Amino acid sequence: MKLYLTLILLFPLLGGAVNALIGRKLPRRLSETLACASVWGAFVCGLLTFGAYRAPVTVELATWLADFDFAAPVTLYLDPLSLVMTLMITFVCGLIHVYAVGYMAGEGDQARFFALLNIFVFAMLVLVLAENLPLLYLGWEGVGFCSYALIGFWYTEKKNADAGRKAFITTRIGDTLFGIGIVWCFQLFRTESIAQINQMGGVVSAGVVTALGLLFLAGAMGKSAQVPLMVWLPDAMAGPTPVSAQIHAATMVTAGVYLLARMYPLFGASPAVMAAVAVTGAASAFFGASCALAQRDLKRILAYSTISQIGYMMLGVGCGAVTAATFHLLVHAFFKALLFLGAGCVIAALHHEQDIFRMGGVRKGLPLTFGAFLAGAACLAGLPPTGGFFSKDAILAAAWAKGGLLYGGLYGLGLVTAFITAVYTFRMLYLVFGGEGETTHRFPRVMEFMLPPLALLGLFGGLLNLPEYLSAGWLGRFFTTALRDGAVQLSPGGELALQGIAAAVSLAGLAAAHLRYGGARRQKRLEEAATTPRGMTAFLLNGWYADSLYRLLVIRPYEALAGFLWRRVDEGVIDDSLDRLADGLGTAGQGLGRWSCGRVSVYLLSFAAGLALILGWLAWGWGLD
Amino acid sequence: MIVPFEHVLILAGILFALGLVCILVWRMNLIMLLIGIEIMLNAAMLAFVGGAARWGMADGQVFSLLIMAMTSAEVSLALAMVVYLHRRKKTVAADEFSELKG
Repeated sequence: MKLYLTLILLFPLLGGAVNALIGRKLPRRLSETLACASVWGAFVCGLLTFGAYRAPVTVELATWLADFDFAAPVTLYLDPLSLVMTLMITFVCGLIHVYAVGYMAGEGDQARFFALLNIFVFAMLVLVLAENLPLLYLGWEGVGFCSYALIGFWYTEKKNADAGRKAFITTRIGDTLFGIGIVWCFQLFRTESIAQINQMGGVVSAGVVTALGLLFLAGAMGKSAQVPLMVWLPDAMAGPTPVSAQIHAATMVTAGVYLLARMYPLFGASPAVMAAVAVTGAASAFFGASCALAQRDLKRILAYSTISQIGYMMLGVGCGAVTAATFHLLVHAFFKALLFLGAGCVIAALHHEQDIFRMGGVRKGLPLTFGAFLAGAACLAGLPPTGGFFSKDAILAAAWAKGGLLYGGLYGLGLVTAFITAVYTFRMLYLVFGGEGETTHRFPRVMEFMLPPLALLGLFGGLLNLPEYLSAGWLGRFFTTALRDGAVQLSPGGELALQGIAAAVSLAGLAAAHLRYGGARRQKRLEEAATTPRGMTAFLLNGWYADSLYRLLVIRPYEALAGFLWRRVDEGVIDDSLDRLADGLGTAGQGLGRWSCGRVSVYLLSFAAGLALILGWLAWGWGLD
Repeated sequence: MIVPFEHVLILAGILFALGLVCILVWRMNLIMLLIGIEIMLNAAMLAFVGGAARWGMADGQVFSLLIMAMTSAEVSLALAMVVYLHRRKKTVAADEFSELKG
């Protein structure tokens, strides 16, 4: 077990290190093969670990930080949650790596690209497998750095570099609060081990747990792009499409959900924290879905839908349904990676056209992509009986079962969001694949071959955790061997009724999208889209003007303050007084300078001689005693 | 502590002497002078850390962290000055610069 776990981490790290150090000297084919093989190697080790897994294990690999009673060794913790995450990450990232070989075929600088992709996977695996909070934070910051470098991969264009910086700084706000939470944990519990902290919730008062939970939630908000720290994700689409798939599907954005699920035993005791998590999730779900409704850029639609879907996972954690949230996380990873990779194929076939209103008729040119994209869209919209339907319904059912005014309201919001989700998904599908359009161009075939496995996993992902009335879900049973799930159980009849409602809502969304964008009506929408957006459309297109709001609230005052400090304080007060002081000292120095010879070596020698003199005097005094 | 404190001090002393010799002898190059200073500072840090471990107090470690922060600031400034000096006279020999002479 120790060997497998070490190898899981070592493969991507080695692949990344080799590509980073000598990748430029290697032939292109070798560098690509190395990157893909290291991730697939990690996946194979993950499978072997899965086969050997019996009960949760803790493996200490090395000491890392240790000082007096503080200790944060490189210790890995394997339980069902980290195991399924590891499998999902290595599998999806493996497919994305192979896809990236095709997608980046015409681009230069492949060594930097694949080194960063591999280190990204390594950092994410560290995050998932870490047993203590500082190690988790190491992975947390690692994915943050890699995403910054990958979003700005084409850094010669200022727009891309700015998007990278925006992602870095926005997530850093959450990271700082999370870091404070980690240090505070040590001060409270005198340990950084997650397993121990999770058992010590009763030691401190409820208020402290709530404050701690809110700090962790802030970290999760930044990393998972939840309201109010969601503004970086749509701009992160500036990166290459495989990066978007990797960041938005398997890694990075799921880190926040994973963190909250991991710390659930501690924070589950605090109703305030759980309510905050649930409200954040539901608000983000609604925000993302509504914005996706008006976007024109194919990748931005998918980015907003990611915010929305992660919001569902947060809602699930907030309802105590860790299993349902993880279930949705897994299925979402499959179908969102599928949608991004499919979108990458479409964009590559149309010569980097991303505006969905200028696309059309792609279904004829790319039948395989169309089929896969359709499967992904059905999952995203939650059409029965796809995996997305079961996982989303499990979360909504958990919210309903929790009951009360707050959670009832959140259930309602979730249902509305599900309807909007179905509408924008099929709006995208009709506009991109429907109608007539220009002929498609050739692109590396290997890209399309990565789609079917993800499509199958997305469509049949529901089998992972079937509802109670069919058979006890596998994921749920696997999780109860080691984890605590706080979801309230529903009666089979109630669950069936809720699933009926969810199915009806998503089918209604499909019908609405068909009525608006299907058939001949598509042409009318294209004509409408040519005019400048106004009112509600502009509001949604610009993401509720969140960027402008932050510019007004944060950036403008900050710039004003910086200007004041620069002109008045730095130049006015500090520089002026220093100039005066320098003038005075200069005059004094000129007087004193007549005594010096000006050679540095003479000064140094006199220093040494003085030192020898003092040492000699001390030694002599010591000898006399 | 496995390594006796005296050994740490002796090693620190040797390092310090090496750094001192470096700056006294290598006057043809400002950068070597900086390296000599770094070595002497590291000797001081080693003594601090050894002392911290000897008496089980964190003060020495805090001091060495402080020295690290100080040296990184110092080196960045000093290297910028070396670049500037080289641009002025196309040389980095220490003795070439005697403008401060009154």
